[in-house]
Amino acid sequence: MSKALLLVVVLVTGVAAGVEEKLGDTPDGSRSNFVHLIPLLSEPLPGKEPDQIHPDSDPMLPFSTKATCGACHSYDKISAGWHFNATDSNVNPGRNGQAWIYADPTSATQIPLSYRNWPGTFRPEQIGLTPVAFLQTFGRQMPGGAIGEMVDKSDNPEEVLKSEVTGKLEINCLACHDGNPGQDMGGGSGYSINVMRGNYRWAATASCEFAYVTGSVKGLPNEYNFRAPYVSDSKLKPPAVAYRKEAFGHNDWVGFDIRLEPPKPRCYFCHSNVDVRDGKTEKWFTDEDVHLAAGLICADCHRNGLDHNIIRGYASEPCNSTNPIAANASCEGCHIGTKGEKPDGGRFTAPTPKHAGIPTVHFDKLTCTACHSGPWPANETIRTKTARAHALGIAGANKSGDVLPHLLYPVFARGQDGKIGVFKLFWPAYWASMVDGNVVPLDIETVKSAASRTITKAAFSKTGSWPDLAEEDVAKILMTLDSKAAAGAKAVYITSGKMYSFDIDAGKLISANNKAAAPYMWPIAHDVRPAARSLGVRNCQDCHAINSPFLFGLVSGDSPLKSAAAGARMIKFENLPKRATEWFAWSFMFRPMFKIVSILASVVIIGVLAYYLLKALGFAARAFAGKD
Amino acid sequence: MFRSIAITGFIAVIAGTILHFAVSKPKFDDVFGKDRSLRILDPLRLVVFLKTLLFVEQKWSLVGVLRKLVFLLAILCFVVLVVTGFVPNIFLEKSITGWWLMIHATFAPIFAACLAALAVLWADKNRLDKNYWPWWLNRALLRQPGSTTPAEKYELGLKISFWTILVLSLPMILSAVLGTFALFGTDGQRVLLQIHRYSTLLLSLFAIIYLELAALTEMNRTASK
Repeated sequence: MSKALLLVVVLVTGVAAGVEEKLGDTPDGSRSNFVHLIPLLSEPLPGKEPDQIHPDSDPMLPFSTKATCGACHSYDKISAGWHFNATDSNVNPGRNGQAWIYADPTSATQIPLSYRNWPGTFRPEQIGLTPVAFLQTFGRQMPGGAIGEMVDKSDNPEEVLKSEVTGKLEINCLACHDGNPGQDMGGGSGYSINVMRGNYRWAATASCEFAYVTGSVKGLPNEYNFRAPYVSDSKLKPPAVAYRKEAFGHNDWVGFDIRLEPPKPRCYFCHSNVDVRDGKTEKWFTDEDVHLAAGLICADCHRNGLDHNIIRGYASEPCNSTNPIAANASCEGCHIGTKGEKPDGGRFTAPTPKHAGIPTVHFDKLTCTACHSGPWPANETIRTKTARAHALGIAGANKSGDVLPHLLYPVFARGQDGKIGVFKLFWPAYWASMVDGNVVPLDIETVKSAASRTITKAAFSKTGSWPDLAEEDVAKILMTLDSKAAAGAKAVYITSGKMYSFDIDAGKLISANNKAAAPYMWPIAHDVRPAARSLGVRNCQDCHAINSPFLFGLVSGDSPLKSAAAGARMIKFENLPKRATEWFAWSFMFRPMFKIVSILASVVIIGVLAYYLLKALGFAARAFAGKD
Repeated sequence: MFRSIAITGFIAVIAGTILHFAVSKPKFDDVFGKDRSLRILDPLRLVVFLKTLLFVEQKWSLVGVLRKLVFLLAILCFVVLVVTGFVPNIFLEKSITGWWLMIHATFAPIFAACLAALAVLWADKNRLDKNYWPWWLNRALLRQPGSTTPAEKYELGLKISFWTILVLSLPMILSAVLGTFALFGTDGQRVLLQIHRYSTLLLSLFAIIYLELAALTEMNRTASK
């Protein structure tokens, strides 16, 4: 009996220890804001509890979000969420999204990278980007966690040693949840600048409105200790923190304006988009998404619990996501409902669309976004810039409309679900090695070295666009790469949908088709246009016309090689038969005639039926009256 | 479900009309004459004879020519519409799109116009005049219909089929054309599609019955001469 009791106690204790729930893990259901008046805690020494930061602490340390926020919210559970789990190979990547785009005009490169193994992307290490190099390039608009906490696991021993100095880029909870307008993500001394300087440990603190971070880890020796921040070389400026003394209150606790649902600007910092019109990027040229204009915020649809398994909002997401309300958070989920046991449409007063006059076959063949998202299609795709691709919102960002990478949209194409939707697209340009028919991108430093003698400063564009490249220049670089290539490998250059290689015998550049040269596309949903601007709102010929951009618009090519930038028609991306589609579009010219003839025919038939029916009624009336 | 009903309907009606034709047709001797040679070619004679029935009795007047042309055009459109309308659904199990839809939508207004013209040109010939009143009354009171010639028997069936086709043509045409206006939302479009499908199916079945009865009537007339 005592052994059984002991076993029960051990089991219960074990279970309790394995699923330790913290104070803030489970909400009590109140919709009011929970006031966060809390101590600032620094990164703890191994095996020790974290120390509180006081206004007179010396040295003044950055606060650790893992320690400070993690005191009440299970950091490990949060770090499994979508924004932080890119490096977890067990996570279902779901529908492909915007990749990180490594763009380098000095080597005429723009290549999609992702840790999620989305089709068409490459892993950063395939082009030689270590975790630190990746953070250096893209960490500016990453919320921390994931690769940010793997800097000590780099294959580069130097980076591993340096990680003690830089610290890890922990999840910056404030990047999303700080409601204070002073949250500094992109400013001159804010989060992004500190990440780019390598000040990972200080980045979250730098973003805070009551803290200021100066200095950089650059040049610091590997044995530098941030808890004893003294350096002998006066030229080195190690990172230093200054807190606004007034921020500290009773018990030296600090008040954070924490919002459960991130305010729009937080999301916009990483997820902004601006169209390039006449070379300019004025955001006031276009309206924001109709949902936001109507008063919703991003988190109204893109929701999650403690697990931060955020809803991405596409129709097939329930197949890939464990979020229990994913099905109800898509376009159909809110506007129509899921047709489950009980009515669940009309969320947030979402109007139920009538789609008057639209045959139902459209809903089998098109996504909602095809008609409702992105800019109204023009004869040719337009360029657009995004926050993550072009560092929008960060001090010193290149504001030119021409800067790489060149993103194009709207592109109407067939998605992974078989439906035609709207996408953003870019044409990858990169140098690679072809071995046994497989195209593998080359290390970027190798490429830069090979290209540096050919692509000189004189060829650089002032706007950050492609360098001035001729076919001879590409040939020279390929020859240089070929001279360093392993046996059986052939250097190639992928650009604008073609693969170029140097034919030694012919002595010239030759191009070929290859699936490695396919454009990288990802479906978009924002910005949603109002119903009055949806495709088809005027008539069927918004799409079904011989000159309609939806079917026959041009997806511009893009390449440093002028001869390569041919482009292609939308119809190719939509996988529609060219001849049948052209004839069908042309036939809509006769639609009014169809209507008129059919209606007139019906009127005549009704007339004939009515005439003889009335005659029959008359006869029947006379017959019953005995008169006939 | 529509697919199953359509397949069942077509099989039942086609089988029924073939059986009825085989049982009710007059003897070949009466139709083609006893002196005909190579009797083994009788099935071919039957096919040719049925084809000649398409060349309906023509009176050399404008109305006569029009009647003949409209009838031939209606038959052609009917065949094309049945093929383009039902083959994708029944055999390919997909909705009508692409070339199927284009051909279907091209012949549809022509067929509608032909139906309107046939309604005007043939309505009087197919009217159920007062001579049918005793027959209707007997049927209604479950009495014996009285003696009729074979031609009259099929004539009633022909006339009923004619008017049924006309009545069904209205939902068939209107369900297609009203869907092209911004009047009906998604649920309404689904209802219109179902109306179009089922009215077209019924019209097709009655058209097959009409053609079979017309063939029998003409054969009997030829046999009785």
